[in-house]
Amino acid sequence: MSLAAEAFVSQIAAAEPWPEKATLYQPLKEDQILLSDSASSLAVQTFLRMCGLPVQVSCCANAEYMSPSGKVPFIHVGNQVVSELGPIVQFIKAKGHSLSDGLDDVQRAEMKAYMELVNNMLLTAELYIQWCDDYTATEISRPRYSSPYSWPLNHILAYQKQWEVRRKMNAIGWSGKSLEQVYEDVSQCCQALSQRLGTQPYFFNKQPTELDALVFGHLFTILTTQLTNDELAEKVKSYTNLLSFCHRIDQTYFKEHDRESQVS
Amino acid sequence: MGTVHARSLDPLPMQGPELGVQADDMDLGEPEQEEKQEVLENKDVVVQHVHIDGLGRTKEDILTYEVADVFRAKNLIDVMKKSHEARQKLLRLGIFRHVEVVIDTTEGADALPNGLDVTFEVKELRRMTGSYNTMVGNNEGSMVLGLKLPNVFGRAEKLTFQFSYGTKETSYGLSFFKPQPGHFERNFSINLYKVTGQFPWSSLRETDRGVSTEFSFPIWRTNHTLKWEGVWRELGCLARTASFSVREESGHSLKSSLSHTMVIDTRNSTILPRKGALLKINQELAGYTGGDVSFLKEDFEIQLNKTLFWDSVRCCGGNYCLCLFIAVFYLGGPTSVRGYSMYSIGPQSEGDYLGGEAFWAGGLHLYTPLPFRPGRGGFGELFRTHFFLNAGNLCNLNYGEGPRAHLSKLAECIRWSYGAGIVLRLGNIARLELNYCIPMGVQSGDRICDGVQFGAGIRFL
Repeated sequence: MSLAAEAFVSQIAAAEPWPEKATLYQPLKEDQILLSDSASSLAVQTFLRMCGLPVQVSCCANAEYMSPSGKVPFIHVGNQVVSELGPIVQFIKAKGHSLSDGLDDVQRAEMKAYMELVNNMLLTAELYIQWCDDYTATEISRPRYSSPYSWPLNHILAYQKQWEVRRKMNAIGWSGKSLEQVYEDVSQCCQALSQRLGTQPYFFNKQPTELDALVFGHLFTILTTQLTNDELAEKVKSYTNLLSFCHRIDQTYFKEHDRESQVS
Repeated sequence: MGTVHARSLDPLPMQGPELGVQADDMDLGEPEQEEKQEVLENKDVVVQHVHIDGLGRTKEDILTYEVADVFRAKNLIDVMKKSHEARQKLLRLGIFRHVEVVIDTTEGADALPNGLDVTFEVKELRRMTGSYNTMVGNNEGSMVLGLKLPNVFGRAEKLTFQFSYGTKETSYGLSFFKPQPGHFERNFSINLYKVTGQFPWSSLRETDRGVSTEFSFPIWRTNHTLKWEGVWRELGCLARTASFSVREESGHSLKSSLSHTMVIDTRNSTILPRKGALLKINQELAGYTGGDVSFLKEDFEIQLNKTLFWDSVRCCGGNYCLCLFIAVFYLGGPTSVRGYSMYSIGPQSEGDYLGGEAFWAGGLHLYTPLPFRPGRGGFGELFRTHFFLNAGNLCNLNYGEGPRAHLSKLAECIRWSYGAGIVLRLGNIARLELNYCIPMGVQSGDRICDGVQFGAGIRFL
């Protein structure tokens, strides 16, 4: 379809209300999903909860291939399939829900800048640790990634994914970095986030925005995922306000919400 | 070239005719004009030597099986007949460009008065032949390179390689074929391939990388093939607008299957046969030898041809296929049920056809030469007019019910069509059709192509 036709179709779709049966697709939670995908998926789930939009989470072994852009998570809403946090935020905005309406232009630009920081630093560091660190790749990433498939397909797909990520790291210049340098980068990113957050409840004071969802997604996943060592989690733990930020969002949007839906 | 290999009776492992001298063979020296008729019909002869001229890399042991029969000839007519059969056998090995037969009387010290020498003058195919083509079509351009090595190790083994490099997709195929010496119909082959395909009727794109080995052998009048195949299949959506059911199928899967095919083919040609019948039964079982796909697939095909008055041929055929656990069959189009769009019968979701687990299709055709027979005896022979009646149905199985429910499900909502058209035969491989079709029994969701429909292909219903 041409760009104009696609824009037209998405305009039509945007006019429809949020359906009951919206679904979010991600790889299998127990055996297959990796740190970076889990973080992205949690970020989208948090964003949808913050907007008050119900969504079912469905785990499929082939979620990565079902996605139109090749990245998880993606949501299936009515007839539309949208993947990754950025496009999903746009899509939800077209439906009339937005968390960043109250921000002025300067704040919006700042929010975008911090989101870029998280994507370029935290997400890339996660990918690096998963696929470029040989020990982690052999012990965790490859076995998990290939668990739904049988021999010899599992080895082929795992190595294919590893080469692809390593090529990408090469292209952005991260292949020369050592693990220590990557941990340092993570620490610096967390420091920047911590400074911006300060003592406020959310990044832009009283109301949560998509930046909060994104940061929560990544930090909470780092804190709760078991890797080969605890260094990454330690880097995040050293910033206490980030810790309490994660705790607060978890309480407000996940634990409270689930308790409420159980009671009602 | 020009090596002469002489074979005489004794060292051969097979039986040769006796060396006894016949009583009435002393007439060779007599005046030949009166005895010419006699010599041809009654004269008992003994084939003493069979030479094969022109061998290079071919090993002799496979050839001895093919020419062994010539020694059993008793008279001259027999010698000529058996030499002709041996020539056919040598040609079907696929290693010679041409084979000539020369029959002459024996000369030399051990020559018998009624002894004959049969010489096969052969020219071997070149060690390697290659081809290079460029193809343009379907919004894609590609370069195709082909290599063929006939008779690689000297015993009629064949190695072929084909590689296609295109703007959108690349594919390749490597195949090794080896017949059993002395029994050409018993052979095995190993194939390695990667093929890609696009299926707009389902908005699906498929890439298959596979390896297969197969054994073929004849049993009485039937031909059997046993095959193991391992395929890595990758499915993807062709467009962003693909339906979600198709999107759910995307991803990778591995199939490891065993299959058995039995074929009885007495037709005189595969394209536009005039007489004969074909029966083909195929089973495929996947999942027990590895892989993550399990299914059982059955396929029955039957075709009967009979020549009627005035050179017309009546052909009726049928096809029934069944697959447990997976919907893999599509129906419709100019090569199966005419009058419907390509593979556009059966369950569909948002315009994409999902296929079904079982189908049947049948056809009744009447082929006649073109009216008024233009170009008779030449170009006009490639054309035929044809009248057809096609029917078929495709559905998914319901595993809870029994076979009777399955049969009744296939018998309801039958799609059928009739019409007439012109058929053109392309060599011995393919056929083009231009038909006027009237589809009937159309169900909601099917896409029809009523009116003129064009089809090209190899296998037609």
